[in-house]
Amino acid sequence: MSIRNRLGSITKSSDSGRAQSIGPISRETIAGISWTIPYLAAFSVFLLWPLFLGLWMSFHNWDPLFPSESEWIGLQNYVELMSDPALWSSLWNTFYFVVLTVPTIVVLSLFLALGVYREVRGKRLLRTIFFSPYVLTIAVVAFVWMELLGTNFGPLNYYLGFIGLMPEWLTSTGLAMPSLAVTTVWWLLGFNFIILLASRQGVPERLYEAARLDGASSWRAFKDITLPQMRNAILFVVIIQFIYQFQVFGQPYIMTQGGPANSTRTIVYYLYQVAFNQHSYGYAAAIGYVLFAVLVGVSLVNYYVIGGDSNE
Amino acid sequence: MSEETALDTERDLTTRINEYLANLDIESVGVHAFLYGVAILFMAPYVYMFTASFQPRSLAMEAQPYWIPPEITFEHYQWLLENSLIVDWTINTFAIAGVATVLILIADSMIAYSLSRLDWPGRGILLSIIVASFMVPYYLNIVPLFTIVSDLNLVSSPWGVILPAVANPLGVFMLYQFFKDIPEEYEEAARLDGFSNFQIYSRIILPLSKPIMTALALFMFVYNWNAFLWPLIVLQSNQAYTLPIGLVSLQNAQIYRPGRTLASAVIAALPLLIVFLILQRYLVRAVELQGVTE
Repeated sequence: MSIRNRLGSITKSSDSGRAQSIGPISRETIAGISWTIPYLAAFSVFLLWPLFLGLWMSFHNWDPLFPSESEWIGLQNYVELMSDPALWSSLWNTFYFVVLTVPTIVVLSLFLALGVYREVRGKRLLRTIFFSPYVLTIAVVAFVWMELLGTNFGPLNYYLGFIGLMPEWLTSTGLAMPSLAVTTVWWLLGFNFIILLASRQGVPERLYEAARLDGASSWRAFKDITLPQMRNAILFVVIIQFIYQFQVFGQPYIMTQGGPANSTRTIVYYLYQVAFNQHSYGYAAAIGYVLFAVLVGVSLVNYYVIGGDSNE
Repeated sequence: MSEETALDTERDLTTRINEYLANLDIESVGVHAFLYGVAILFMAPYVYMFTASFQPRSLAMEAQPYWIPPEITFEHYQWLLENSLIVDWTINTFAIAGVATVLILIADSMIAYSLSRLDWPGRGILLSIIVASFMVPYYLNIVPLFTIVSDLNLVSSPWGVILPAVANPLGVFMLYQFFKDIPEEYEEAARLDGFSNFQIYSRIILPLSKPIMTALALFMFVYNWNAFLWPLIVLQSNQAYTLPIGLVSLQNAQIYRPGRTLASAVIAALPLLIVFLILQRYLVRAVELQGVTE
């Protein structure tokens, strides 16, 4: 379901509530509000409050030990950020990672979903295999791939050795990021595969029967039935993956420590280093807000470019 | 197919092979080759993780990989159990993921009940706010959240990981969608019998929602079990680590010990893989619910 549909169905359902009460505060209102308290308590303290506190911090030279003595510096953190080469290089690295992972994940999971939907043997086994890495923690995923991609003792390089190759997967600036991307595709493909498979199962079979009667080729059927029918699910997967991959952290943190030569230092990793290694909380908070702005901008572009004309 | 198998016994092998080749659909062979090719690539990391964790260090230092080790040792597992806190980390992870899941289910189902079944002004706006909070990327909050958690003295406490996980908009949204489709008649009949809101919630709504609650619970358990960035920031003592953080703390860049590293990975992966194999359909359902159009 697209995000727009979701929002649409919510506003609709909440508008068409039962008859409004006439009294100032009805019993149902009191009951209604009290049922929201546990969630809203956690929501306010751990989500809403930090959102405002972060903005406040970003205008300060924040002192972690004596917060009340932090110096108000206005927009200085943001001004400094604009000319911070580390910000721009990690932003660039993150975009590179997103470009490597998102299309690969979406296209490969789409083909696997369409394949598994067909008359194939061992459907359930295939589904289990493709989905299973999704339940692993990044530490496990990273460890396994660090061994597989090891330069001297890794199995991949052993086989590549037969054709005279010995690439330095995780320790050369050119290959480190693609290596993290491959690891990520293995890890997270399953989530998208499941969503696309469910979407394919929802396409009515009669559309294909009609197309067959009209003598349409399987390519035409794919282009004119499958893709348009699965459009919302594909759009959902693209947007979710975009937001998710943009926030990549564990892979570079464990597998490359952002190296070699900072080539895999992504934006969340940079924020983490500024905050928890350099203890520049105000500056780190400002990075968070700049990123949020970038992400909102890119999501809007994404949304209007890919989903702009799908008004069902 | 089944009618043919009965006849097959009477035919001789060559005719059967010829028939098979004649019926062979090239496209179908291609699809099978693609799917099983990818499946083998997907399985290879598991196989390597598992077998290498039983290999003595001498074999790991050879260039040739052994997919089936000629020599097996349990020394890596033994070392981990005796010299690391991996058992404590496993218990921590279970406790944190378990308690977080229970609290998420309680808080999310209560607010979803209020938003979907009780009529009060402002609930539409509240729902919009919660859905909008979906869009807030988690890194935006880590710095201010850490100062709040430090002020509450929750650094290195499991509660420092659990409490920020409770307000989960995904759960609210999934349960809201489900609750609002439960027919009004059930509730009206119960109200005539004098049921309170709590009785309607606990005796009607929750029992009807068992499958979706199970799916959500499993998804949240896996999610919290695997959480990395936030526990890495909050849990600062060896005894307090969860498995993902503990595993990384075992890494030693100076000494190459693939067997020990992969044995720790097996220990961390196994509980979830087993849960996954048994309860896969619930997890699949939870993922499907996030993407399927109604």
